[in-house]
Amino acid sequence: MKVSLSWLEDYVDIKMDPAQLADALTMAGLEVEAVADRYGYLQSVLVGRIEAVDSHPNADKLKVCRVHIPNGQLTVVCGAPNVKAGMLAPLALAGTVLPDGSVLEKSVIRGQASEAMLCSDVELGLGTDPGGIMELEESLTPGDRLADALGLYDTVFELDLTPNRPDCLSVIGIAREIAAIQKTPLRYPDFSLEDKDNRIGKLASVTIEAPDHCPRYAARLVDAVKVKSSPFWLQDRLLSVGLRPINNIVDITNFVLMETGQPLHAFDFDRLAENRIVVRTARSGEKFFTLDQKERTLDADMLMICDGQKPVAVGGVMGGLNSEIETGTSRVLIESAYFSPVSIRKTSKKLGVSTEASHRFERGVDPEGTIRAVNRAARLTAELAGGTLVEGLIDEYPKPFKPAQVSVSVQRTRQLLGIELDPGHIKNLLESIEFEVDNIIADGDDHRLEVTAPTFRVDISIPEDLMEEVARLAGYNNIPITFPAMPAEARPPSRQLEVRRRLRQLMTGFGFSEVITYSFVHRLSSERLGLAATDPRRSQIPIVNPLAEDQAVMRTSLIPGLLETMRYNLTRQVKTLKIFEVGKIFIPRANQALPQEPEVLAVLWTGMRYEASWHGAQIPCDFFDIKGVAEGLLGALKIGGLRFTRMDDDACDYTRAGYCAWIMAGDSTVGRVGEIHPRIRDNFELKQSAYIFELELPHLIPLIPAAVSFKPIPKFPAIYRDITIIVDRAVEAQSILEAVKNMGETLVETVHLFAVFEGDPVAAGKKSISFRLTYRSGAKTLVDDDVNQLHKLITAKLLQAFNAGLPE
Amino acid sequence: MENNLDQIHQQALNELEGAESIREIEDISIRYLGRKGVLTRFLRNISHLPADQRPMAGKKANELKKILDQAFRQASEKHQTQDAAGEQGIDVSLPGRCVTCGAMHPISLINEQICGIFSGLGFDIAEGREVESDYYNFEALNFPKDHPARDMQDTFFISDDTVLRTHTSPQQIRTMEKQAPPVRIILPGKVYRCDSDLTHTPMFHQVEGLLVDENISFGDLKGILTTFVHQMFDEQTSLRFRPSFFPFTEPSAEVDILCIMCRGRGCRVCSHTGWLEILGSGMVHPALYENVGYDAERYTGFAFGIGVERIAMLKYGIDDIRRFFENDMRFLAQF
Repeated sequence: MKVSLSWLEDYVDIKMDPAQLADALTMAGLEVEAVADRYGYLQSVLVGRIEAVDSHPNADKLKVCRVHIPNGQLTVVCGAPNVKAGMLAPLALAGTVLPDGSVLEKSVIRGQASEAMLCSDVELGLGTDPGGIMELEESLTPGDRLADALGLYDTVFELDLTPNRPDCLSVIGIAREIAAIQKTPLRYPDFSLEDKDNRIGKLASVTIEAPDHCPRYAARLVDAVKVKSSPFWLQDRLLSVGLRPINNIVDITNFVLMETGQPLHAFDFDRLAENRIVVRTARSGEKFFTLDQKERTLDADMLMICDGQKPVAVGGVMGGLNSEIETGTSRVLIESAYFSPVSIRKTSKKLGVSTEASHRFERGVDPEGTIRAVNRAARLTAELAGGTLVEGLIDEYPKPFKPAQVSVSVQRTRQLLGIELDPGHIKNLLESIEFEVDNIIADGDDHRLEVTAPTFRVDISIPEDLMEEVARLAGYNNIPITFPAMPAEARPPSRQLEVRRRLRQLMTGFGFSEVITYSFVHRLSSERLGLAATDPRRSQIPIVNPLAEDQAVMRTSLIPGLLETMRYNLTRQVKTLKIFEVGKIFIPRANQALPQEPEVLAVLWTGMRYEASWHGAQIPCDFFDIKGVAEGLLGALKIGGLRFTRMDDDACDYTRAGYCAWIMAGDSTVGRVGEIHPRIRDNFELKQSAYIFELELPHLIPLIPAAVSFKPIPKFPAIYRDITIIVDRAVEAQSILEAVKNMGETLVETVHLFAVFEGDPVAAGKKSISFRLTYRSGAKTLVDDDVNQLHKLITAKLLQAFNAGLPE
Repeated sequence: MENNLDQIHQQALNELEGAESIREIEDISIRYLGRKGVLTRFLRNISHLPADQRPMAGKKANELKKILDQAFRQASEKHQTQDAAGEQGIDVSLPGRCVTCGAMHPISLINEQICGIFSGLGFDIAEGREVESDYYNFEALNFPKDHPARDMQDTFFISDDTVLRTHTSPQQIRTMEKQAPPVRIILPGKVYRCDSDLTHTPMFHQVEGLLVDENISFGDLKGILTTFVHQMFDEQTSLRFRPSFFPFTEPSAEVDILCIMCRGRGCRVCSHTGWLEILGSGMVHPALYENVGYDAERYTGFAFGIGVERIAMLKYGIDDIRRFFENDMRFLAQF
């Protein structure tokens, strides 16, 4: 909402300078977003004295003028008939932006250089005479800025109003707030119109068939108008708030709209069939051409203003081409109605049309303001368009509006706001914005104020609404700072939050950086990820109104986001990347509107194992690097029974078969680790290997021990024995280590694998595996004899179990 | 016998005198005191001496052992200091073997800082779902259907009745449904609005707060938020509260802080107003109490919502919000 200082001053004397006013409005809840000098564009327009006028060598109608300015003379080509030597006229220098948006530049006109422009008042937005350049008073000083010379000062405020304050979508509404802030009176224009008879009743009628959509419809008729341009003062008012003048009739409705906040519509009365208005809902599928020349398809919920035969306007949204005011229009019916906010909002949304009118109706106009506005517009039409007012007012009002009456406790107001206020003070504050305090009733220690809200304050319905007005007018910043009593109790953070924090700390400690990618991804991302058609992650939840193709569905995996991040960085020459993300994925559930939202940790490593350094050659990272991170992480979380099991080839989807594993803790699968499948890499246009692991927090969290219980440090020394056995290449090392553990020998404390070897002298298809057993007793210091026998037994069992041999 | 010990003593000292390195001193030490050393052999041979001489010889030999042990140790220490002084050593300016920590995302860092401040003030942390029903995201929060207030939050729709949450407030309702007052919670999390430019991304992070108890006033809201701002920025950061509108609070307030860049003189960051809008707040609207079955006569409370990106941009001087979600390593590595 734009409003100019000069227009505001029609209704209230303003004592503050523009900056103070902007600040005061903002602090009263009407946020001023911008303050602009209305005539800022005149900065580079000077009072010029035309020294000489010569004929243009190449054009009969053009003149070449020499114009005097403080630093010299400019040559200006001018085509105005009234240009003559010695006159003063506005001279716009190169760079000036005129109100119509055009930018002045030095130019060559028919071979003659022109360095500036002599302007008409129309071109400068200062008048309506297009006939020639603006003739300035002789008494002005050449070289002065035009705005200074003519005393043109105005400020335009741009307000960002909250949806609860439609009353301030008008100049008077804002003036009212200023009057309250300054504690000065507000001047209303004369809204009264006395009718001697009711002639309109004989000429026109209004029937409301949809009172829920249209509780009130008022109209006046003006006869014998002349449609033409508005007088300058009216155009100027509209221009000052960013509206384009059209003709006097339309300009008047717009002027009253801006002044009072009541949208009006002017119909060409002679184009209304049967000279009557019927307010009804549309027939489903009905077609209608709106003023913007677009054909609209209507539905049965939309409110239409019709004449005796056909629709003539979409009620409260936009008029129709078929009843538009035209140059020849002579009788004008002015509509001023109150439409249901919900009805207008639905129609405006469905049609995708938002207008000055619909914007106000859907927020709620003053139901009692209809008559004032139609009176004002009718009177102006009669005055400015030379018409005669047809006596009488149509006011169909099937559902009269009841002003809000609210009773508010003084005690409760003080308590909620935390400020001392007495009943009289509250009364004064409320009355300053036209609330009526009907009664102050003593109620024990308390007082209750019975308040009637003004009808333009459609946002008021409960006591808290009044308390807000009181707080607002008393000034939020005058409320003293206090602190609530907070008992010394707090719940511990949730397990999920705690684990997430720990994951972040550990992962950054391991050298990985956290990324946050969008929760929505490309529609094709699960396909690109190679997920099987039956995979639940294939059914991604689509967003109805996405902003972009690559943000169209909710993610079911964090991997696409990490791969996109990888690509983003690779193209920016960052080739080694260690990143992780913790976030939700979204899995739809059958028969439930809301999806499952499990949280996932996903980790990606690509590029080199270490940064380039003098300590050695750079080695690319591999499966065991990422697996080591997973082991380190899960170890730090004290997850017991950790195993990595080979994935079936057909389960591998986005990881490379033979290079990926399920991460198990006991019998539960908590995630997977592996190399990204080369085909998937191609899908994401990546040219280097990447290794990932993923953990699902809902599976992981229950496995993390809640508390650590201390085990005594061993008292007795251990004995170490190594074994090397030769097994088939396909035998998994993990199975050998587990076999040892599963023997259940109490003296075996740990089994640690330290070497794997393939190739000569080990036979083809075989590998040697070496591991160290730690033997320890809790009861005594072991000696060789205690373990020799056992070690032989274990070795023998392994040889048998794995069909293994010993090295030669 | 004694002569023999004296001889050993003298000889050992002579050899020690000539020793030029720790290595040599160690060798000498082994030659005399080692398992097969001169003195050890002497001690072992004491049994061959006449019985009356044995105690004295044993005592003397053990004394000598102590003396020599100390002499060797002293000589060794002395050499250690001298060696260090004389030796070239290594080029300590060469880089060490690289150990690098990763970086937490700046949003996580600021989020943790905000949560930390409110935890310290006695607020619990609650989290909720990101795909929400229209009821929890709007209706229960006093945003009626077909109300212009819904335009304040450009919403991503999953269906007519399901949305991506536009704020973390739905969890206020879910928490109040489950828990009787008093309620003191903060609600961090991702939220979504369909908007994208220099200062808006379609996904961003919020920390909302809710405190409901007996006798909670607007003054208390000011107190808590003033403390928050002072801890988040500094004690010199002044605040102003100005009337605003949110359907779920009444009265509602926007909170501005004095621009931390120019301290109110006016600069590009604060659009020359001297103030920065950093959060929305207000007293909980009675309609919410009705929706969750709280006694609106007995309880009052306040709620507030902080944009994490906004705070992070101010704290780190980041001018484009989209940086947070591009995940450029050259950006992330700075935090």
